[in-house]
Amino acid sequence: MSNGTVTPVFPTFEQVFQGFAGQIGMLRQMAPEPTMPDERRVHRAIDTLIEETNADEAVWLESCIHCGQCTNACHYFVATGEAKYAPMRKMDLYRRVYQREVGPLRWLYKLFTKQITLQDLEEVQELVYDSCSECGRCTMVCPMGIDTASLVHHMRSALVAAELVPPELAALRMEQKHQGTVFGSSPEALHRMVDTIRDHYGVPIPLDKPEAEVMVLSSAVDLVANGNGLLATAKVMNHLGVDWTICSDAFESANFGLLSGDMTLWRTQVDPIVARARAIKAKTLVIAECGHAYPALRWNPMLRSGALPFEMMYMSEYLGRQAREGRLKLRPLEGKVTYHDPCKTGRRGGAFEEPRALFKAMNADFVELPANKEYNWCCGGGAGIFLLERATRLRDESFKLKLHQVDQTGAEAVVVSCASCRLNFEAGRQKNHWNKRVDSLVELVADHLIDEPTDQTEEAAA
Amino acid sequence: MTLLEFARGPAIHASLILFAAGVCWRLLGVLVLTRGADLSRPRDAFGNFKGYRTVFSRAWPSDEFRTTTRYQTVLAYLFHLATLGVVLLIVPHIEFISGLTGLSWPGVPNFVGVALGTIALASLIALILRRISKPAVYNSTVGDYVTWIIVTLPLVTGLMAFAHVGFRYETMLALHILSAALLFAYFPFGKLMHAFWFLFSRAQSGITYAHKGVRI
Repeated sequence: MSNGTVTPVFPTFEQVFQGFAGQIGMLRQMAPEPTMPDERRVHRAIDTLIEETNADEAVWLESCIHCGQCTNACHYFVATGEAKYAPMRKMDLYRRVYQREVGPLRWLYKLFTKQITLQDLEEVQELVYDSCSECGRCTMVCPMGIDTASLVHHMRSALVAAELVPPELAALRMEQKHQGTVFGSSPEALHRMVDTIRDHYGVPIPLDKPEAEVMVLSSAVDLVANGNGLLATAKVMNHLGVDWTICSDAFESANFGLLSGDMTLWRTQVDPIVARARAIKAKTLVIAECGHAYPALRWNPMLRSGALPFEMMYMSEYLGRQAREGRLKLRPLEGKVTYHDPCKTGRRGGAFEEPRALFKAMNADFVELPANKEYNWCCGGGAGIFLLERATRLRDESFKLKLHQVDQTGAEAVVVSCASCRLNFEAGRQKNHWNKRVDSLVELVADHLIDEPTDQTEEAAA
Repeated sequence: MTLLEFARGPAIHASLILFAAGVCWRLLGVLVLTRGADLSRPRDAFGNFKGYRTVFSRAWPSDEFRTTTRYQTVLAYLFHLATLGVVLLIVPHIEFISGLTGLSWPGVPNFVGVALGTIALASLIALILRRISKPAVYNSTVGDYVTWIIVTLPLVTGLMAFAHVGFRYETMLALHILSAALLFAYFPFGKLMHAFWFLFSRAQSGITYAHKGVRI
């Protein structure tokens, strides 16, 4: 069957976005209610911060001089001009706990300061979830080099302990914790999607091979909505001719432990993936276009990855390396394009050159964004913020910075390599009636493959 | 004991002891904490060492942030360099340091000292005016203003003593030394400690990002 003549069965990404928007609306009703007494919630938050404060965190908390430089690096502050969104404020409450409980002058601070309250924690929720995508851009300008994103992540852990995760993230965290799925992306959903792709498009997906060189992860977005994502992945992997598989007991890239700040859930999601990759003797683990999955796996500080028998790579990283080694045969890409580095794979992941190698391989008229690579502006939807209804204004306003950046390039399309970024770009595209195309890197690559005739088709032709 | 004798004697000596002990206490209190280990495999085998570059590279903001950081950066440099000059290059200061340590070096002419002091004071005023006029950007706390006053006082009293303005010279000199004593005594307790933290903070972040192959 020639793919070019197949009637598409999967929704367009515009429809995917609309479907997701509806599902996200329902998450709020599914969110768990707090179960512990207020005092216990506060103590758990304090204990979490004490436990997670090492010398690095202490130095960063000690170093801020309120010089204000970070403010103009933060998309949420620049978009709104509101004082509360200044990056330095996002660590104020953490510093109060640190000064009273951990710092070398704690005896002094205990005399003059009060313990934090549940109300303080409730108020900080917006600062560490809704208005910080942990993108790290403020670190690039801070004269002290403070890594505010890391401190915000500890605050998220404290709010998990205080049962103060925003409802949408809380609902998905509970789903992943108790059912092991995200938006219902079960092994059955994977099987159904694999069957559809094989039966309708004639593209086989090797599922649950006992041994394979490359283990590929998928993501909830692809499995429950954007079938084109998994289809593109399969086409590219088949084109490469590598020995690959997807494992139905370890396929999910999304990690709501990391996004919510629940370190225990983070680990319980990662362990089965690592175990499965070991079991099938994989040499490479390819992480789907799901930005935060890269730090969840590749940069997981709890995972001694140097001792693992396989290498972990983000999809753009893997494909870029294949392109560099001449294994991807790609048609030229028409029209001028630009690329948005997802924060988690770019500034906080270091996978800069590989996606650009793909544009080179497609002989693309590629133009960089005015602020790119380490200095790239977040799209405004990272670190779970895309899911938060309450953060809609912050997302919409900060996206205008991105929109302006892309417009400045004169590109016809902006390419992204993260489902969350893509959903946020799509929201911004629709709301602003933006005349740009938003493409996924893996789907773009799949669309530009030059498929050499296989033995089967050669036989058929004969 | 006159006010000047008190300032020159017990006050400044006690403040210097508090300064030295306080700085050590605060630095050690933080640096003895355990370091969280990052077990993930670095992008390059020796890439993490590149992170130490940030200690130096962060001395000047990247071009990406030029327009938003220009005012603060230029004035901060003027203030720090002029203040360093005033502290270390004025003859009476050298004599004081010499009395404590035995070390000595040539000083600058008086007019240079006055110029440096004036630049330091003017830049401090320019910085506080911006802090006050842009509250959203600076997120100021009481500590920020207290620190500003404590840093400004020795500059103001020093210039006044030199120019024979205000009280009689001996009183102004005593007030100047007392304000310096206040600065030394306060140093370990507030944000002036950034004079030490910046080294550690920049290095840590540089290494954290270099681990992932990112140059910050």
